[in-house]
Amino acid sequence: MTGRAAWPALPALILLFVFFLFPVVRMLGFSLEGGTLEWYAKALGEGLYLRVMWNTFEIALLVSLLCLLLGYPLGFLIATTTPGWATMGFIFVLLPLWTSVLVRTYAWMVLLGRNGVFNRLLMDAGITSDPIPMLHNFTGVLIGMVHVLLPYMVLPIYGAVRRVDPAVVAAAAGLGASNWRIFWRIYIPLTLNGIFAGCVLVFVLSLGFFITPALLGGGRVIMIAVLIEQQVREALNWPFAAALSAVLLVATFAVYALAQRFTQPEART
Amino acid sequence: MEISRLRRRHVVSLLGGAAAVGVSGRAFAQAEPPKPAQIVVNHSGGSMGSAMRKAFFNGFEKKYGIRVVETSPVDFGKLRAMVDSGNVEWDLTEIGGQDAIRAGKANLLDKVDPKVVDRSKYPETAQNPYVFASSVYTTIIGYRTDVFKNGSQPKSWADWWDVKKFPGARSMRNHPTDNLEFALIADGVPKDKVYPIDFDRAFKKLDQIKPHVTAWWSTGQQPAQLLLDKEVVLATGWNGRFYDIIKKGAPVEIEWNEGALKQGSFAIPRGAKNPYWANKMLAELAIPQQQAVYASELGYPGLNLESLNFVDAKVKPYLPTAYLEKQFWISDEWYAEHGTKAAELWNAWMLKKA
Repeated sequence: MTGRAAWPALPALILLFVFFLFPVVRMLGFSLEGGTLEWYAKALGEGLYLRVMWNTFEIALLVSLLCLLLGYPLGFLIATTTPGWATMGFIFVLLPLWTSVLVRTYAWMVLLGRNGVFNRLLMDAGITSDPIPMLHNFTGVLIGMVHVLLPYMVLPIYGAVRRVDPAVVAAAAGLGASNWRIFWRIYIPLTLNGIFAGCVLVFVLSLGFFITPALLGGGRVIMIAVLIEQQVREALNWPFAAALSAVLLVATFAVYALAQRFTQPEART
Repeated sequence: MEISRLRRRHVVSLLGGAAAVGVSGRAFAQAEPPKPAQIVVNHSGGSMGSAMRKAFFNGFEKKYGIRVVETSPVDFGKLRAMVDSGNVEWDLTEIGGQDAIRAGKANLLDKVDPKVVDRSKYPETAQNPYVFASSVYTTIIGYRTDVFKNGSQPKSWADWWDVKKFPGARSMRNHPTDNLEFALIADGVPKDKVYPIDFDRAFKKLDQIKPHVTAWWSTGQQPAQLLLDKEVVLATGWNGRFYDIIKKGAPVEIEWNEGALKQGSFAIPRGAKNPYWANKMLAELAIPQQQAVYASELGYPGLNLESLNFVDAKVKPYLPTAYLEKQFWISDEWYAEHGTKAAELWNAWMLKKA
């Protein structure tokens, strides 16, 4: 990038430096307070923290996959349908995004409970005799998180599908390719960028989740953000909180780098 | 002995205060520091905030012509950050019991000024020089009256643990405080002998109840909501939250026996901009008539023991101060020292597959 092209970005860069980079560096400083790696040893050495970290990554991965399975067809549909339907689709995708996470989480509690709407319906229809446990467990957490994060998957996929040249699709159809074949050989490779962008976005956002697992998981599903918050607010052990955050940050970068390696070659060819 | 120690501390603080005033000369003669346009009171918000406005803030504003700006939530981390950075936004803040003790030790708080705030009617346990005890709350059993009819509810923690005699889904707090104590009492430890807590014994007892707890709650509103939705039939919770839904007609009642008492507190952050007016606000919080208004609203009575005289007879049965004998006090001192260890053990126990 030349100097001329870079300077309009300067305000944004300064903003990032002051409000992001500087605090992150300070936080890293905190974690090394007293010049020891004591807190990193605790974060990586004690079973509790490693296990919660691992759980967090597992949940983030599952949520990303579920979002992809639900989000790709939706993003594809919105990108390829008539403008009227596309607007409708956008409203349905974006409306939840503008609603408070807490409100949506409580709404799920009403729907998923033992005496909730879903279980009432299932039992009244005679499908089950006992309520199916959907709340206060892992299932509840997955449902709630996927709902919150789905727009972050749909939007990049929508963008990627829109960028596919219709001439390429028409050419393939003209040469006799089936719809299925067009989808797998043209759309999927050409939208890989959007898929990975969506996955990385959802994955990274999942890692920091907090309210949803606490309320929908009934306390049983513990994610690392909850433990970091405990250290900040209850234990007031900021060096340890900083060390846990640093470990999470490094792990997140590693995942991001991995995803980049996957996407870049495809993006260029 | 306790009293004489307190007095000595007061004398020291008075001397310190006089010395500080001496530096600025004229201020000593002045009756009151100038009135600011506003003071900032930080509290936990929600229905508590509106009750405080009704019981205390409106009166304060009228009396002194100083606007009371309310902020929330209560955040110990933020308090520490404010005091450390010297940018203290709050003149007065609510603070949790064990946090208050740690904050006092960590030099994050100003002392309550005994010349402004009269606590002579307060019990001795509520006379900490740094902390103003504003109200009492307790963690007790809430139960569905359509499931446990005619007083057939569990009446002790031993009963709570007895899932054969008292079947049904339960909810408990996702936190070691209260639960460790309840487990020990259920296991036969007398309620005045739970400290120091025997972790092994407590967690072993908790193992027994774990499969019967549907939800471990993390916000105060949850247990009330869980009972309302009949998601559970028994829940531990803060008395005010149950009082709130009972007032609105929910089929829920409270069993007070062996409840875990705690005090809600306010304190002045060190470096607050208007410490004198913060003390004046505390003086407002200490007025028994106003405490009675607050208690009738939320079910959290103040510690001015005269305030019970100003409460409606219908409200009195829902105030924890009417059942002090049946209950026990959570030891903030013990948690100030062992809270971190307890939290770690609790998390590990939660992760354990039961």
